[in-house]
Amino acid sequence: MFLDTLTSLDTVAAALVERARVRGAYLIWRAQERSCARVLVRSGRVEEMATSVSSGHGIHVVDEHGGVALASRDDFHDGPALALLDRALESAALAHRLGVPPAFLSGLTPESARLIPAGLDAYERLEPSRAAARLAELEAEIAARAPGLTTTLALSTDLDAWRVVRSDGADVTWIMPRCVLRFSASSRGAARHTVGASVSGPTPDLLDDPGKIATFLTRAATAARLAAALPDAPNHPAGSFPLVIDYALAKGLAHEAFGHASEADGFRSSVLARDGRFRSGDTVGAAHVSIVDEPVAGDHAWQPYSASGVRRERATIVDHGRLADALTDPWSAPLAGARLTNADRAESFRVAPLPRMSNIRIELEGARPAAGAFEDYGPAEVRELLAEAGVLARHPEVVFLSGYSGGQVNPTTGDFVFNCKAIYTLGARGIRLHKPAIFSGSMFGALHAIREGFGPLLLDAIGTCGKWGQSVPSSGGSHYFLVLDPAPTVRLGGR
Amino acid sequence: MDVSGLVEALGATRVDGHFVDAWSLAATEARRMTLGTKDSRTGSPHAPLALSESLTARVKIVWSDGRISRGALDRRQIVQDAAAALRATRASSYDDPDARLVLGPAAFPDVRVFDAATDALAAGALEPLASRLAAIRGRVAAHGFRTWSGSLQAARATARVVTSEGLDAATLGTSWSWHASFDGEIGTGFAARSQDDEPAFHARLDRAVPAALALRADASSRAGGVVPVLLHPDVVEEFVIAALLHNLDGAAVAHGTGAFRRDQFQTRAAVLREDLTLRHDPLVPLASGAYRFTQEGLPARPVTFIEAGRLVSPLLDLKYARRLELPPTPPPSAIDTVFLEGPPPLEYAAACAAAAGGALVLGVLGVHTQDFTSGDFSMSAPQTVALGPRGFEGRLRATISGNLFGILRSPQLRLVAFPGEHTPGLLVPIRLDPV
Repeated sequence: MFLDTLTSLDTVAAALVERARVRGAYLIWRAQERSCARVLVRSGRVEEMATSVSSGHGIHVVDEHGGVALASRDDFHDGPALALLDRALESAALAHRLGVPPAFLSGLTPESARLIPAGLDAYERLEPSRAAARLAELEAEIAARAPGLTTTLALSTDLDAWRVVRSDGADVTWIMPRCVLRFSASSRGAARHTVGASVSGPTPDLLDDPGKIATFLTRAATAARLAAALPDAPNHPAGSFPLVIDYALAKGLAHEAFGHASEADGFRSSVLARDGRFRSGDTVGAAHVSIVDEPVAGDHAWQPYSASGVRRERATIVDHGRLADALTDPWSAPLAGARLTNADRAESFRVAPLPRMSNIRIELEGARPAAGAFEDYGPAEVRELLAEAGVLARHPEVVFLSGYSGGQVNPTTGDFVFNCKAIYTLGARGIRLHKPAIFSGSMFGALHAIREGFGPLLLDAIGTCGKWGQSVPSSGGSHYFLVLDPAPTVRLGGR
Repeated sequence: MDVSGLVEALGATRVDGHFVDAWSLAATEARRMTLGTKDSRTGSPHAPLALSESLTARVKIVWSDGRISRGALDRRQIVQDAAAALRATRASSYDDPDARLVLGPAAFPDVRVFDAATDALAAGALEPLASRLAAIRGRVAAHGFRTWSGSLQAARATARVVTSEGLDAATLGTSWSWHASFDGEIGTGFAARSQDDEPAFHARLDRAVPAALALRADASSRAGGVVPVLLHPDVVEEFVIAALLHNLDGAAVAHGTGAFRRDQFQTRAAVLREDLTLRHDPLVPLASGAYRFTQEGLPARPVTFIEAGRLVSPLLDLKYARRLELPPTPPPSAIDTVFLEGPPPLEYAAACAAAAGGALVLGVLGVHTQDFTSGDFSMSAPQTVALGPRGFEGRLRATISGNLFGILRSPQLRLVAFPGEHTPGLLVPIRLDPV
């Protein structure tokens, strides 16, 4: 039933392809149907329960002269759709007068496929009022572990179904299911701090998944305790320090520092390109460091096919310190001189797809083991890990950045920033908590500074990427912890 | 805009013996044209000429048992499947006594929100854009910028609010916006309900150039410390005003998740310096944030949130107005109807002179990562220009840190009038550390 609408559109799809053929144009047609729901509980009370549906189609055309236009409408009727195609072609022709250069598209292999992940019946079984009751139970449990805070819990569900049809016969349909359970805690004193935590999964069953819930409760309680402690914590001085970052911050580093700069739509200005061409083969980091992006099944940012209807490929952006793959789409790959990795994604049928990350990770060759689950590691355990590995012998005091709270990059300059939820100084004098501060620097400096990794790969750090005004889910991670040696171009903000 | 099917379905919907007792719907039918430029390539496949048509509606239902449903519907549901869509919302209904109010008819103020020339652009008349693109390309060539990116956008939209209490109001409005950034660093732009005229467009472009050029020189040898920092109006809007509005939000006040407590509004607590005011006026003709009524059917009117440094009113929709027992407030929908005001501002040139030894912060990275509740901030400011006795001294990559509320209570704070900008800049001592 999840694809009933999209699979019923054969007639309109065929009519559009035929009209484009007659007019000498190439068509990429995207139809989308998206259903979202959100339940929000605050202090034991349901404050919001809302649903939304959005559906429609986007007509991306290239006319016989290479003119490009995109037209969209939120229904699937044949008549308006064909009229929209005509308007798009007229606009593509008009655009030449504004100095719009012709576009070139890579040759694509047409595929006909349908991909529906298992377990989507959980969306049909979801009862919002039961979910709200479950959120209230969880909230009470967290309050018992960390009392005295104002708390919010929210469950968001999102079924995002796409169909892409092209003039060359490609016809691909898939569904991306996403659920996120979020928590935030605010301290109640005169100086208030808010700290959040989350877990994600492909279906609403995560509310009844003992493993997921145990992880969520641990993360939430930790966030709550931090919210209570931060108002009294001092600021950390600014400067360059030996750093430990957790896997969620490492995701931020990979995403902000390297991922965006490797997106080929910006290669006329990216620091990872020269004269519009990807600097493939250039050394950009330490030889034991690699950065990989690929869709991961069941992940928050999973997208098996590109917005052009081609299977997305694994991209090794940095392979043992050297640039290897760019994130490319059929439009940018030929100009970038890079392999086509089919990385184009779009927020909705209304907007032009862009090369984007999916799940991005930093991998270290020779990472050291770290036993147990990531949640077992508080600052004391991290200090023990570092001491055993000799890191504290090298650096008497290390600054541990814990928890990712967003980031941003300027791909033109390579300047990146991201923020953490807390800072701990770890050393012989003990462990001290500090307020969060911005972590900023140059991408090359950061990647060269990575020295050690601890623990297995953990790739469930989620977020939302807002490139070019389009919000799409992002995710990624790394080993539990990465150690960065001090580098003059990598700094912790502060006061 | 035809929402008759939806209105009819609202009156007829019954689920498990419950009927719709009251309802409100806010529908928007829009047509939009966007032309992007990415890396100097106007209309490229990643920023193409894009035309869109949409019809959406937000619905609130008060069921006969008092439960509330909220939903957002698309054109297909509004036109074809309204009855089924409304029945489905019952499954996500919940108890919320504060959300039951549905407004009736009211007198709505007149404010101009439509412009015929902008309407023609939204319909796809591209010719008027040619001179704008030529002007931007001319600056890029004249000043040796490697690349530029941006967009030009025009839209028309009919907004309509209908309720079970007899309210039925509609407005046809237009919107226009453009933005251009040079070398991926410094940008400028404009948004309103009508186009800015060509001289204003050129003047705005020209004002952006000196700062962009100043970033080419290096001033990284500066030492860190607490120095006079001039925050550009873009930074004030993106960070300072955004943080204040976040904390003024009624939900944050009611739930205690913001910086301001409920009792502080009752006592008109002093939270900013005694001469600072933050207000909203949605009745500014042709402003981007101008409107006649909210999506809940509340008439637009000016609202003061903070006056003489003291809390006056949170931002309150109907639900949180009831919960906090205060009158509802029309919310800002764009920054050009939000006013941060104070004592007479310094002129820009005088402010630059006063900030010698400090810096002009043109843009910051990481605003969305800040904890607006505490007001503590620590942001990267890679687009910062060192200021000296002779003006711009070159680029300074830096971090800035401090506490927002501390800044807004500082006796040393000065508002600064930047030419052509709606929002003032702020001149204040801030911790600045060059990277």
